[in-house]
Amino acid sequence: MTALLNLDDVSIGYEGRPVLTHVTFAIERGEFVALLGPNGAGKTTLFRGILGLIPLLGGRVAYSFDRAASPPGYVPQKESLDPIFPLTTFEVVLMGTYARIPPLRPVGREARRRAAERLAEVGLAAQAKQPFWALSGGQKQRALIARALAVEPEVLFLDEPTAGVDTEAERAIMDLISRLNRDRGLTVVLVSHHLRLVRELVHAAIWVEDGRARKGATETILASQ
Amino acid sequence: MSTLLEILDPNFLLHDALVGSLLVGLVCPLVGVYFVLRRMIFLGVALPQLSAAGIAFAFFAYRAVVGVHAHEEPSERALAMVGSFAFTLIGLLVLAALERRGRNMVEARIGTTYALAAAATILFLAADPYGEAHMVNLLKGDITTTQSGHVTLLAAIYGAVVLVLLALRKELLLVSFDRELAMVFGRRVVLWDGLLYLLIGITISLGVMTAGPLVTFGFLVVPALTARLLTRRMLAFSLTASLLGAAAAFVGFWAAYRWDLPLGPSQVATACVVLMAVGALNALRQRLRRHHA
Repeated sequence: MTALLNLDDVSIGYEGRPVLTHVTFAIERGEFVALLGPNGAGKTTLFRGILGLIPLLGGRVAYSFDRAASPPGYVPQKESLDPIFPLTTFEVVLMGTYARIPPLRPVGREARRRAAERLAEVGLAAQAKQPFWALSGGQKQRALIARALAVEPEVLFLDEPTAGVDTEAERAIMDLISRLNRDRGLTVVLVSHHLRLVRELVHAAIWVEDGRARKGATETILASQ
Repeated sequence: MSTLLEILDPNFLLHDALVGSLLVGLVCPLVGVYFVLRRMIFLGVALPQLSAAGIAFAFFAYRAVVGVHAHEEPSERALAMVGSFAFTLIGLLVLAALERRGRNMVEARIGTTYALAAAATILFLAADPYGEAHMVNLLKGDITTTQSGHVTLLAAIYGAVVLVLLALRKELLLVSFDRELAMVFGRRVVLWDGLLYLLIGITISLGVMTAGPLVTFGFLVVPALTARLLTRRMLAFSLTASLLGAAAAFVGFWAAYRWDLPLGPSQVATACVVLMAVGALNALRQRLRRHHA
């Protein structure tokens, strides 16, 4: 495997105050990695720093591909989106295609076809015309995964993808993510606090605690905690 | 019926006022949908008042520095437009920057801005006795005095605003709905916000100069709130809001002419009646659906 993403002596925090320091690890192409750790340890901060959503205080995050030409797929927590927006499920998924459409250029037939295919891939073709907010929690999460796939990404980032869904939906979401990694070879990085759910699926874990983050084989990392 | 035919006659005495009203009714809701979606409704109250304060300040400053300004001249309109646009845009940028620093006290800031703008408007007017009578009409939104030159300018600028909103709707939607996704896609969200604020500033400034702060606020927010109850898709939401705004402007104009009522309040009241009717029907429909479930 080759490195898709390298973090080199990264410090991340807010308003100049570091939350994590001296973070160095690589994520390999095709790897399935979970960011784990206690609540408030800085998992989401690290996740946001890798994605460029917050500025680094030091160090460097290097992608092995052109991020501007091929943005990562990003699945936020569904609660971060505001239900005041009148959007169908298809319109939400279509937003993923905007990544590769320059401003002023309209969304064409090809983009619509791609969005419909991704929606079908996550098993929501029948819900395309339904209001996004009428979907169940698990369906919303799958629609957001379809939106991330519509980007045609090299790497998929998911922020607590099973938060606020029932056990059955939790399993369906994790199966879907696992299948995308296994069948498509898609690199996956997810934040989770569900050790039980991820320990058998991921290739490696990044443990975040006490201002540090270290990567290793899942069982090794979990055994040391 | 005869009133309706009279209004629709191209030689109608208040034809320019009617066209101006319709333009404000059509375009303000298109910008207003972003106020509703971004939960900035209170800004919709404060900004038109700031715009009015800008007009009053421009006249006050002109008189203090240059001298008495000529009434009803194009230069007076230009002066008003500069003041209105500058105050609206600066106010919008300052409030947005403060909101970015922290969401605490947002309502307090907007409320204070409204109170300050309303007070400043009256104080600037009081200091400019030459312009006071005319300015009071302008600030109340005396659209009946609108002239064809202003309507042409309004149509041209509002036309450009609509074209930009339509051409960039996918970017504006992305930045408004999921700011973080837009950042992941490499979009410069601050620039897109800035562009949206510029369009809002232009729309409000011209709206206030044409129809006054009350009508501008009413058309920014009320048709968009009504359309939100009726639609499930973004494009339908924007278009419905715009059509509802234009319809309320027309019906309000007709009612005002028919019964000799103040024009602006008639139009805003019409838009509010439609909102209340749609809200009541919506609530009834939901109750019936729950009852049958």
